[in-house]
Parts: sequence; structure tokens; C-alpha cells
Amino acid sequence: MVYARLILMRLFKAVIVLFLIVIFNFLLIQLAPGDPAAILAGEAGAADQEFLNQLRERFGLDQPMYVQLWRYVSGIAMLDFGYSYRLGVPVFDLIMDRLPATLLLTGTAFVLSLVLGIVAGSMAAARVKKPSGSLIMALALVFYATPLFWVALMSVVVFSVYLGWLPAYGLYTVGAGHTGFALVLDVATHLILPATTLALFFMAIYTRMTRTSMLDAAQQDFVKTARAKGLKPSVIQRRHILRNALLPIITLAGLQAGQMVGGAILTETVFAWPGIGRLMFEALQQRDYNLLLGIFFFSAALVIVFNILTDLVYRLADPRIKGAS
Amino acid sequence: MSFFARFAQNRGALIGLIILLLIIVMAILAPLLFPESPWRMVQRPFLPPLSQDGYLLGTDTMGRNVAAGLMHGAWVSLLIGLVSTSVALLIGVPLGAIAGYYGGLIDDVLMRFTEFFQTIPNFALAIVLVAIMQPSITSIVLAIALVSWPPVARLVRAEFMSLRHREYVEAARLVGQTNSTIILRQILPNTLSPIIVLASLMVATAILLESALSFLGLGDPNVMSWGYMIGAARTVIRQAWWLSFFPGVAILLTVLALNLVGEGLDDALNPKLSRER
Amino acid sequence: MRTPLALAISAAALAFSSAALADDPKQGGTVNTIIQPEPPGLVLGMVQNAPTRTVAGNIYEGLLRYTTDLEPMPQLAESWDVSDDGRTYTFHLREDVTWHDGEPFTADDVVFSADVFHRELNPSARAVLQHVESIEATDDHTVVFTLTDPFGPFLISFEAGTFTMVPEHLYADTDFRNNEHNDHPIGTGPFKFANWERGTVIELVKNDDYYEDGLPYLDGVNWHIIPDGGSRAVAFENGTIDVLPSGTVENFDIPRLSAMDNVCMTEEGHEYFSPFAMLWMNNREGPTADKRFRQAVMYAMDREFAKDVLWNGLGNVPLSAFGSNARFQHDGLEPYDHNPERARELLAEMDYNGEEITILPLPYGETWTRWAEAVQQNLREVGINVSTQATDVGGWNQRLGDWDYDLAFTYLYQYGDPALGISRTYLSDNIAKGSPWNNVEGYENERVDELFNEAATAFPDEEREALYSEVQEILHEDVPVGWLMELGFPTLFRCDVQNLVTSGVGVNDGFKDAWLDR
Repeated sequence: MVYARLILMRLFKAVIVLFLIVIFNFLLIQLAPGDPAAILAGEAGAADQEFLNQLRERFGLDQPMYVQLWRYVSGIAMLDFGYSYRLGVPVFDLIMDRLPATLLLTGTAFVLSLVLGIVAGSMAAARVKKPSGSLIMALALVFYATPLFWVALMSVVVFSVYLGWLPAYGLYTVGAGHTGFALVLDVATHLILPATTLALFFMAIYTRMTRTSMLDAAQQDFVKTARAKGLKPSVIQRRHILRNALLPIITLAGLQAGQMVGGAILTETVFAWPGIGRLMFEALQQRDYNLLLGIFFFSAALVIVFNILTDLVYRLADPRIKGAS
Repeated sequence: MSFFARFAQNRGALIGLIILLLIIVMAILAPLLFPESPWRMVQRPFLPPLSQDGYLLGTDTMGRNVAAGLMHGAWVSLLIGLVSTSVALLIGVPLGAIAGYYGGLIDDVLMRFTEFFQTIPNFALAIVLVAIMQPSITSIVLAIALVSWPPVARLVRAEFMSLRHREYVEAARLVGQTNSTIILRQILPNTLSPIIVLASLMVATAILLESALSFLGLGDPNVMSWGYMIGAARTVIRQAWWLSFFPGVAILLTVLALNLVGEGLDDALNPKLSRER
Repeated sequence: MRTPLALAISAAALAFSSAALADDPKQGGTVNTIIQPEPPGLVLGMVQNAPTRTVAGNIYEGLLRYTTDLEPMPQLAESWDVSDDGRTYTFHLREDVTWHDGEPFTADDVVFSADVFHRELNPSARAVLQHVESIEATDDHTVVFTLTDPFGPFLISFEAGTFTMVPEHLYADTDFRNNEHNDHPIGTGPFKFANWERGTVIELVKNDDYYEDGLPYLDGVNWHIIPDGGSRAVAFENGTIDVLPSGTVENFDIPRLSAMDNVCMTEEGHEYFSPFAMLWMNNREGPTADKRFRQAVMYAMDREFAKDVLWNGLGNVPLSAFGSNARFQHDGLEPYDHNPERARELLAEMDYNGEEITILPLPYGETWTRWAEAVQQNLREVGINVSTQATDVGGWNQRLGDWDYDLAFTYLYQYGDPALGISRTYLSDNIAKGSPWNNVEGYENERVDELFNEAATAFPDEEREALYSEVQEILHEDVPVGWLMELGFPTLFRCDVQNLVTSGVGVNDGFKDAWLDR
């Protein structure tokens, strides 16, 4: 009951934020030099004024800005995202086409980085003064400090070119005609490199975070009590320390999950992953405003959904926080 | 224990500091050791490292000296990191301070504003900003600052909220100090340590962000930054590994050093929290 | 200078053509290739950009094809007659052609395509059609074009990318841009559109009812979409991709890829386009408005360096405004060699005061960025105060369209005749804001206008030659734009892909005759 009201409130706020984001982005994009008509005409390698005018009229770019804004916002209110200028396909369809690939990539990377990060972090916390613990932390720091795209490039060179173990690009083998389990396997092998690359950076963050908050938690009174009661260190580590240390990690992870879509732009570009990040970058370069705004809308919506989910998980994990607060 | 002694207790931090100092020295010495423009095409293209005297790190796709680029680039990368962090602090600290100090409606409005910025994916926003302003060192610095201030605001707000009811603040209020004096003189100095720690990490992130933007072709073409060097070298990564390797290592080391120093500062400035870590 | 790579290419091209003669073509197999960037649509005429031409040139056809020497070959028209005054062109169409949906192809389709579809949608066709008085179908398989004047390059304008044939029965009386068939293009070509997985692949399959006996040999062509140049190179290296059309990998990768086993390369197949790289110089204002400054820029640039280092020694440093593949090139002009001393003299002569100018690179990949850096350095070394203005495609278009630049890189297609591909850069009535492809530099010279206009419709060719020679002399002295390079755009492919490049547009219509020796 309390949850239901809370979620409703959050959703209501979310709608307002999304609305503001739409307007903000719309105005932001108007500042960019060049319009889609000029770019399409430029690409054609030949263009007269008639051609440009035809395009501008078709896209509604000949209207004053406030008319364009009103048209766009009222369209969004009806969940109509318009057509991509360049591709002539409904924006909604394009995004729905690409979203699964991005969710698959970021979802896998997210779970991978969270699980490995927590495991590595708690190992490091348990070996706080030992060389092995320092080694884990040093590795985490190196992963954190290495540019993501560099790792991506190098892993393609090593695993795909020299060793030939994994496919270098794409979502599946084009033309192989796999179905069923073979297709799943095919996609899985294509997923390994991009997901691992994307996960490394975030894993480094979670490792450091887990270790820090576990060491913090270890100082708390209830842990001292547990020790005094003579519980086994491994039990204390798991049941008491880790459980408490998880809370800040959940908060951070929730924030990161939404951001991963943006972070995936580099990974998707290097690995030719047909996801939404790459679509966004292309839309930006083509000044395909409708498409770009649509993607912004969806990625902002994703961030908001993740934030709400984080809140809920947080509440489940920590019974001390009451829904009414 | 003195500040430095506490800092030096953390061996990693000491190493980080040494690396950082070396990089700063590199940046300062660049115009002395390589007075010529790093853009000058001085030798045959694609000379491997150590293959010719005077070209320790080889030459790039156009026959430019990689060592010269690396040293001049140190200056640019550090500058971008420092300036964009300063701008982010200039936005984030006042916003966070006001929100945390006054609370209530002001806090609500400012925090919604901050959340709003956090709702648009960071890197995507940076890309759009640079593309709109067209790539230049100013637009890159601004874009990085605009996407990295929200965490500062949140941190400062949290600190202010926990400090604003402390006894010394109440005392200042009783003797009639104005709000601005209290914010600037009483509370702000006490929030400096976490801000400094965060700032050192932000410089590192800014350097990474700049390199990522350059990688996508959104770097400033008039300045030789490490990000530019990797971006320019990525198409030849297979035939000339050294072109992206050395600037890559430079970024890695700098970011690493900044993080180590950040941790050291954290230990030194917040001794209570980090005891036994 | 001929680099080892350039020599290797000629050798490979030789080996390739002799191999093609040696064996009988084999049926079957699918070729995997690359399209970059992803095209906005596949209906030729509605979209004319390079990737659309490349893919759709295998779906659609024009009346004629052109050899690598730009001689016309029969395609949908099996023969043609030209009247003695050069004003009436009669095309005799093949009678056995059907569209991919089974409807017969007739003279009415030609009239509709030329007179209605292209007139409304296609700016490059419009430029030719302004010389056409009437288009008539005299019977089901004969079309007569009557011209207003003997327009010299008329016969070279029927390439599929410029003047494709579209089906009247699907497009007549519809809103062309919103026609439901745009998503599933219907042509007469050797391949049919099968599927377009956005961001991943465009699949074409064999047209079993194709009218030329036994063609095509291939079962299909898959055009992969891979946004990153490095990943495209890897895909070719690990064998996923069989053919890399020109411009799909960075130049720096070409020596390595072409040195691989079983990889062949050809520079042929670009004669129709003959891309010509130029440096726009703003003739209106600033130092670039001074002829001596523009000459100084020409002397300052080390174009041979750019050719050798950035273009692997492929291509050709042009003498002047007319490229070597253009007809009527005047080869008696004094070349603008790399001569920094001369550049400094010219600058001193005009009292160049060190005013800062900017250079706008072409935002089409790393090679162009590097090239701008090299030119910038060349100019700095003769004392020109220059900085680079970074931009993306949108910003580049806008700046050129608004004439807001000092120096800017570009490249233009030459389309086989000065009246189609060259005069447009220098004619003063071609000065108009909003397009990066017209007389962007703002050059105005009445004599040049006269000569170009006369030459376009002069008859016969000897007349044209004399007029074009005079125009080249004037342009060479005035340097309205910088002439950088005639680009060599090599196509890389597995050597077992046979008979790939058979025309002056290369892979744009090349898969028709190609076969796999596997």
C-alpha cells in the first residue's frame, strides 16, 4: 500500500522530469550548426535550392521554432515520436529495434561487473593487510584507469585477430541462418568481448566500493557484538558485514545502470553492436533530431526506471527504512 | 601526526604523488626539450621506437615525433583535467552549499535541477554538448564540467546538512553573522577535505572523458592531447602499436596516480574515517 | 613517385584480369561485403548518396553502362542512334525485361522516370534535363529524347546512379517519398532486395528471371554495416568479408590488408566518378581573396607528400582544374610544385600581414583529418597564420553553405565530362548559399562563364577542346580553388571473387558479372 503510493508519486515526478528533458533537449539541439536537410542534400553530392526546400518542408523545418516545439511535444504526449529524417522510419520502431541489443549488452555487463566486483571486493576486504588483497586492489585500479576504448581495441586485436577465438564485431553471424539454440550460442559468443570490456570498468568501481564499505561495516558495533559472541569470522563476513555493505553498492549500481546506456556508445561503436548508443551517435552526426530526441527520451526514462527500482530494492534490503519517510 | 606524515604512511599515495610530479615536470620541460611544434613532420612516418637517434618513441603516421607529442600532451591533458574540474566545482559547490544550508524549498528545487542533469546519460550529454559547440578546447572543458558537477553538489549538500546544526554554526548565528559569512567562513572550510578528495578523482575522470571524446573524433584539432594521439592512432593500431600505447600508458599512469593521491589525501584529511583501512 | 604498393596493384590487377579469362564462371555462392555509412534509403533517384548508389546500383539499372574508359555499353537500351546535329537521341530498349514484380519494362517507364520522377526529385538529373526539350515513347520499346541544344555530355548521363529507371506502375500518381514500395525497392537489375536489418546488414538475392542469360552467377550479396573502420578491417582480415569497396577502410590499413594472402586490389572502377580533392578558398574576403595568396597556398602545399604518406602513393597530383580522367585536359600548363620559397615571395609581394585564417577539414575520417594537419603545417612553414576548425558533417555543410570559412577540404566527382563535373565549380551563376557543392568559393569571371557555357553545347569535340583549353589557362592562373589530388580509391577483394569490376562505376553495378571461384 505504502509502496504503491510511493511508486505512483515517483512516476508522477518522473513524467514531469521527462517532459522537461524533452523541452531541454529540443532547445539544446536547435543550437547545433547545420540541419538534417543540409546534411541529406550534402550527402547526395548534388543539391539545388529546390531540393533543400522540398526536404525542409517535408520535415517541417520551415516552420518557426515554437511551432516545431509544440508539434514535437504534443506528439510525445500521444507517444508519437515522429519519423527519422534520414531513414524515413518511425523513431519508435527504430528504437525498439535497437533497444534489445543494448539491454542485452548492458544487462550482461551490469550483472557481470556487479557479481565479480562484489566477490573481488569482499576478497580484498578479507585480505586487507595481505599481498593478495593489495593485488586485487591494484588490478581494480588499473582497470579503472585504463580508457575503455583502448581495452576494447586491444581485446579485438588479441582475441579476435591473433587468437581467432571470438568474433570481432556484430550481434550474430550474418548469413549463417542460425535458429533456436544455435542462435543463442552464436549471440552469446558475440556478446563475450563487448560485455567483458564494458564490465571491466564498472567492476573496478564495485570492487573498490565493496571493499571500502565492508571495512566500514566491520567497524560497526553489531559486528563487534557478533565477534564477541564467538561467531566464525567467515559467517560474520557473509551474514553481517557483506549484507550491510551491500546498501551503498546498490545505490551506486542503480545510478550506474542507467548511465551504462551512455557508456555503451564507445563499446557499441568499436564492436559494431547494433544498439541504441551507436544509433544516438549516428543520429547526432546526421542531425536526425527526431531520432536523437527519441533516444534521449528513452535513455532518460531508463535512468528513472532504474532509480525507482533501486529505491525499491534498497527498501527491501534494509528494513530499517520505512516507506513513509 | 603531521598531514604529510599521515599522507606518506600510505605507500600507494606516495608512489602516486611521485608519478604525478614526474608528469608535471614533463609538462613543464616540454617547451624546453622540444621547442618546435609537436605538429611538425620531422622524419619518415611510422619509425618504431628506439630505431633512430633522437626519436626515442618513434614517429607517427605523418612523421611527427611521438616523444614531443607526449610531453606537450601532458600539459594539455593536465590542463583540461584541472580546468574542467575547477569549473565543475564552481558550479557544484555553491549549488550544494545553498541547497544544504537553507534546506526546504530551495533545497528541493536545486536538487531536482541536479537530478535532472543526472537523468540525461553523462557521456551522451558530453558528446552532444561538444558537437553542438563544435570541438575546441573550451567546448570540451565546458562539456566535461557540465556533466561532472552533480556529484559535487550532492556531496557538498550532504556535508552542509550534517554541519549546519553543529554548535559552532549555531554560535555564529547567535552572534549575528550573516548567512553568507557562515556558509563561507564556518561551514565551507570544514567540507574542504572531502571536496579535495573528490576533486582529485574528478581530474582523473576528466582526462579519461577527454580521451574518449577525442577517440570519437570530438577532440580539439589544434592541441596535441593524449586523447587526440590515441584517437589519431587507433586506425593504425595494428601496424604501429606504439602510437596508441605510449599515450595510453600516460593516461593510465596519470589517472592511477591521481587516484592514489586521492586515497592518500582521504587518509590524511579524514584520519578518523580511514583508520585501519 | 611510384611506391611499391602502387606497383603491386598494377601487378595484382594484371593477375586478376588474366585469371578471369582462364576459367569458366561458376554458379552460386554469396558474397559478403561492406556498405559504409548505412544508406538512408535504397530508391535511386530519391536518394543519390554514395552508399545508396553502391547497393541500389545492383537492384536498379539505367539505360546504359560505361566501360572503365567511359565508353557507353548497352544495358536496358540495346542500341541507340544520335542525329547528325547532336540533338536527337533514339534509344531502342530490350524487349525481354521485367521488373522484379513480374511486370514488363517498357518505354513508358523510361518517359515516366526521366520526365516525371527525376525532374521532381533528382537535382543531378535535373541539371541534364534542362537541355531536354521532349521525351517521347514512339512505340513500346523506343524512346526519343529531343534536346534544346547539342549538349556534349548527354550520352554519358545514363548511369544507373544518376538516371535510374523506376517502375511507372508503382510510382505514377503517388506521393513518391511516402510510397509504400520505398521499403522494398523494385528494379530490373540482377539482384532483388531481400531484407534490411537496420544497423546490421542489407541482403540482396539473385534475380532468377534476369534477362541476361546465365547472369548473375552469385546467389546473393550481403552488405554488412559496421560503423568502425578498425572493425571493418578486422572483418576483412578474419575472412567474414570478401570485398571492401573503396573508402570502406582507412587508407592506413590498405597496405597491410593488400599484402595478405589471397587478397587482390584494383584501382579500376572509379573512372566515372574520378573523385577530385580540392581546397575551397574563399574568393570573397580575407587574404584568400588575393590571387597571389591562393597561388602561395598552392606552392606551399607538399602534395606529393600527402599522396605518398596519406594515400599510399595511389592517385594522382593534378596539374590544374581538369583531372586526368576528365576529357579535354590541357597538359601544357606549368605545374604548381612544392616551392615554399616561391610561396614566401608571393606572400611578401602582397604584404600579407599575418591575419589568421582557418582551415576546415572534411569530416569523413582519419585520412582527411591528417591531411588537414599536414596542409596546416605546410602553410605555417611559409608564414601563414592558420588554425584548424574542427567540425562534424552538419557543421561542415553549414559553414560551406553560408560561405563561413577561409580554406576548406572537399572532394567532387567529375562524372566523365567537364560540363557535368567541373564547370559547376567555376560558373558564376552557380553561386548560391545553402549548398556545399556549387561555386562555393565565389569565383566570378565572365570569360570563364562564356567559355564553359559555349563548350558544353559546342559540336563537334574539336570545338569543345579549344574552348576548354583556354578556360584551363585562365583557371590555372587565377587558382579559384586549390587542386589537391585525384584520389585513388582502391577496391580490395579476395582473389577468388572473379570479374568484380567490369565498369566505370565498379562495385556499384559489378556484382552482376562477378562469380566465386570456390
